Amino acid sequence: MRRDEKAVLVERKTLSPDAHLLVFESESLASSFVPGQFTMLRLPGKEPLLRRPYSFCDRLDSRFSLLVKEAGRGTSALARLRLGEVVDCLGPLGSRFTMPEPASTPVIVAGGVGIAPFVGFCRWLACSNKKALVLLGGRQKHDLYLREDFETFGMQVFCTTEDGTFGHTGRVTDLLPELLEKTKSARLYSCGPTGMLSNTAKIARRYLVPHEVSLERRMGCGMGCCLGCVVFVAENESPSQYVRSCTEGPVFDADSVVWERDPFPM
Amino acid sequence: MSVAETKMDVDLAGIHLKTPLIAASGTFGYGTEYLEIAHYECIGAIVAKGLYLEPREGCAPPRIWETPAGMLNAIGLQGIGIERFVSEKMPELRALDVEVLVNICGSTLEEYSKLARILDGVEGVAGIEMNISCPNVQEGGIMFGCDIDMAARVTEAVRKSTVLPVIPKLSPNVSDIATIARRLESAGADALSLVNTIPAMAIDVETRKPRLANIVGGLSGPAIRPIALRLVYQTAQAVEIPVIGIGGISSSEDVLEFVLAGAAAVQIGTMNFVDPSIWRHTMEGLSDYCKRHRVKKFSDLCGSLVADVAAIPTGW
Repeated sequence: MRRDEKAVLVERKTLSPDAHLLVFESESLASSFVPGQFTMLRLPGKEPLLRRPYSFCDRLDSRFSLLVKEAGRGTSALARLRLGEVVDCLGPLGSRFTMPEPASTPVIVAGGVGIAPFVGFCRWLACSNKKALVLLGGRQKHDLYLREDFETFGMQVFCTTEDGTFGHTGRVTDLLPELLEKTKSARLYSCGPTGMLSNTAKIARRYLVPHEVSLERRMGCGMGCCLGCVVFVAENESPSQYVRSCTEGPVFDADSVVWERDPFPM
Repeated sequence: MSVAETKMDVDLAGIHLKTPLIAASGTFGYGTEYLEIAHYECIGAIVAKGLYLEPREGCAPPRIWETPAGMLNAIGLQGIGIERFVSEKMPELRALDVEVLVNICGSTLEEYSKLARILDGVEGVAGIEMNISCPNVQEGGIMFGCDIDMAARVTEAVRKSTVLPVIPKLSPNVSDIATIARRLESAGADALSLVNTIPAMAIDVETRKPRLANIVGGLSGPAIRPIALRLVYQTAQAVEIPVIGIGGISSSEDVLEFVLAGAAAVQIGTMNFVDPSIWRHTMEGLSDYCKRHRVKKFSDLCGSLVADVAAIPTGW
């Protein structure tokens, strides 16, 4: 059941100069979302006008967290929210990650703020004693947000930074082929910049690995009405078309996404 | 919603609306998307998203951008086409206690006529809104709305093709709204709705690229409200047929502005995205206003602007 709920900011952890983990209190939202889903968040006051979409990051009891990287008016205003302030959260919205089959090994590929939906996802996996391989990539060390959380859940974490300040020097997709070679019946989950996602999709196809991808888009409503958030998809049975990332997504079968028609660098 | 003594229903060209609030085309999908969230008992009518005869792919993304107190969009009338709408969406819409208006768009007069003929026999369709003002499509849309002769011809063509009330939706991007409005009234329009979005654009100066792939789009939201209000006022002064006010309405006070300026009903669009509870709190606000001002029938407020400029309050 989707609802428009009040949520109170109860905790803020600054993870890097421009990234924050914001923890909100809302029993009904915290208990109802499934990893991969998102909320449309409205800040108090008149600015910014439109709500902004944020993936649910994690839950703990009656609280949920959002990972916010300052990248524009909406995200910067949210980053400045004070403890005790109340926001309106419409949700839970959109599609979800599917739980891997018992015999398969989840492999997670996340770039920068794209790790957001995977914290809760890994908590979920850990609850069913599933071990995932997690590849985290960033430009520099401080972009590898919440790395320790994945380790706490018992996941095997591989890190890459473009400037070599932590882990392997390069990109997450450098490590992926070797990892897929070694992993039996892998199942891929990815979120991050479009270039990283399309490269991940290419590698997944080469190794015939099923691959779910979470796409971030500008959204006007989150309810499937404004058609502002569309992604071009081509599926076997139906004609290729623009579909809504808020309703049919944000989690898509990566093979259905027509990456050449995707203009977003994220 | 508190029970009001005031009669809040309105008559719009023979269509009975239980409230004066209408969900604007392109902002409420095909009508059922908000069932879990919005208070449908406060919605008088829904205008379904603009439909062509055939399905349309729409514009390339990015399609939206936020501007001060507003939103730019260039969706390009992505849609499922009239046939699928009638067979797949109308059954659910018929079951709701709201009137259904269908927004139609074509690239020729014949397409508009054909759409009107198709809708004529469809159970549950209360009226037709003619999109002659979409800024984001190459053919049709605004091409008809900004040329007074074309606007009149397409209105006549639709008028002849249906017994349903016909409501042309007007562009704000014209030099003389009153002349267009009068001409469409003579061409057989049963009501007029205005305004559609205002053609507009935004640029990312760092990359020097437009914010929208379509380069230009339509501006909506509170940013356009005073412009829309002026156009609604001038239109209502010019014609006898009912006028539906549209443009950045976010509260009962905004509704009242349009109604005092001459609107018989209003549409809410962009602000429903921001605040889906808008239907309920707006109706509460309207009931409260009517009580305070001892208004027996909401429709009595229509066009009741007091044009006594000698005693305008000074506070702001």
